[in-house]
Amino acid sequence: MPSPVRSYAAIFQIRAAIAAVCFGCLVLIAGCKTSEDAAAAATQMSATAKSLSDYYAALSTILSDTDRIYSLNETLYSKPYSAESRQELKTTQAELAKRITLAADLSTLAGSFAKLTSSTAPADVAAAGNNLETEVDSLASYNASTGEQNAIKSALQLLVEAVQAHKEHEAAQAMDSLASGLSALFDKEAPSWKSVDDVYVQLAATLARNLADQNAVDNSAMLKPALDPFGLAPSVPVPDLNTKLVALAKQQISARQAALISSYGNAADAMSKSLQEMLQRIHMVATDKPMAFRIPPLTVTTVEQWATEVQSH
Amino acid sequence: MANALSDVQATFLSLDAQYNTLRAGCKTPAQRDALAAQYSTAQQNYQSTLNATLADDDAQVAALSTQLKAANAQVVRATVELGNISKVIDDITTAVTLGAQLVGML
Repeated sequence: MPSPVRSYAAIFQIRAAIAAVCFGCLVLIAGCKTSEDAAAAATQMSATAKSLSDYYAALSTILSDTDRIYSLNETLYSKPYSAESRQELKTTQAELAKRITLAADLSTLAGSFAKLTSSTAPADVAAAGNNLETEVDSLASYNASTGEQNAIKSALQLLVEAVQAHKEHEAAQAMDSLASGLSALFDKEAPSWKSVDDVYVQLAATLARNLADQNAVDNSAMLKPALDPFGLAPSVPVPDLNTKLVALAKQQISARQAALISSYGNAADAMSKSLQEMLQRIHMVATDKPMAFRIPPLTVTTVEQWATEVQSH
Repeated sequence: MANALSDVQATFLSLDAQYNTLRAGCKTPAQRDALAAQYSTAQQNYQSTLNATLADDDAQVAALSTQLKAANAQVVRATVELGNISKVIDDITTAVTLGAQLVGML
């Protein structure tokens, strides 16, 4: 039988512990909204990092294709491709490789931040809290009431969530200027990468027109709208028919050229918007200004579609 | 720099589009050589101007790369610290155990 002195001391200890934990919660509880905003920022960051990586990978393919077109033009039409120009193109590829590394680093950071926002610590702490409660109960011969047990568990849970929000807030502060710098760099460089795409598309279109003019292209694909519905395929190209289709083939080249340029423009705009959205969300968490309303993460399907299209050329 | 890039790009692409026609119009090997030299220069001008615009951003790219690594280290550290909280509570449990033992000695 425990003495009344020991029981009162134990009760006092437990109640003091609950009060301390609850007070900690009250101090930090404001951060709980941060956690939801941080999770939204982490999702946006992951989507943006993947798109940025795909975007730069597609540009890398475009540069390789440009190199091949230069070589084809040299072989077929005696358009010089000097050692100096080859070296310059390699330098451009090296510059692009730096951006690819940057996108990969952003992806790693997005992964780490997502891990932080989805930390299992609040769940882990419940188990630790139970242990604490068991220890207190068994050693002090004091059985906490159900209400007090729940208060201990809830208070510990809230405390850990508040600490998590605090950590997310700190992490977002470290990422804030970085996100701003990435977004600014992307927008600043937009004309250069647009130029890379424009030059590739126009060089390819000119080469395609030249080949069509020389009847070096099988234009029978133009007959597909008429033959496909009937499960038919064009026969081996008939020279006369092929020549008659050159004008249509060149129209298709021009239409496709405009579509490719437009597709790149849309992808670059979407990429820029995604970076700005990421910046905004990180900034909200960093400055502790909860979002008034939370829109779903801005998906960048336009970038994904464009990148897939380029890789499938 | 952006305007310079767009100017050299326009010159190069215009020459590329007209190259076959212009070459067909050349009457002597010297004219063809001169045309080829102009093409080569236009191509090189474009490529080097493009690289100059990108090289302008080199310092910014390097700074961002460093910032990215630092931010990642901080986030990883925060995750580890957060994971340690349940351990802290375990430590508190040990402390409570010891405290209660002390109370038991009263």
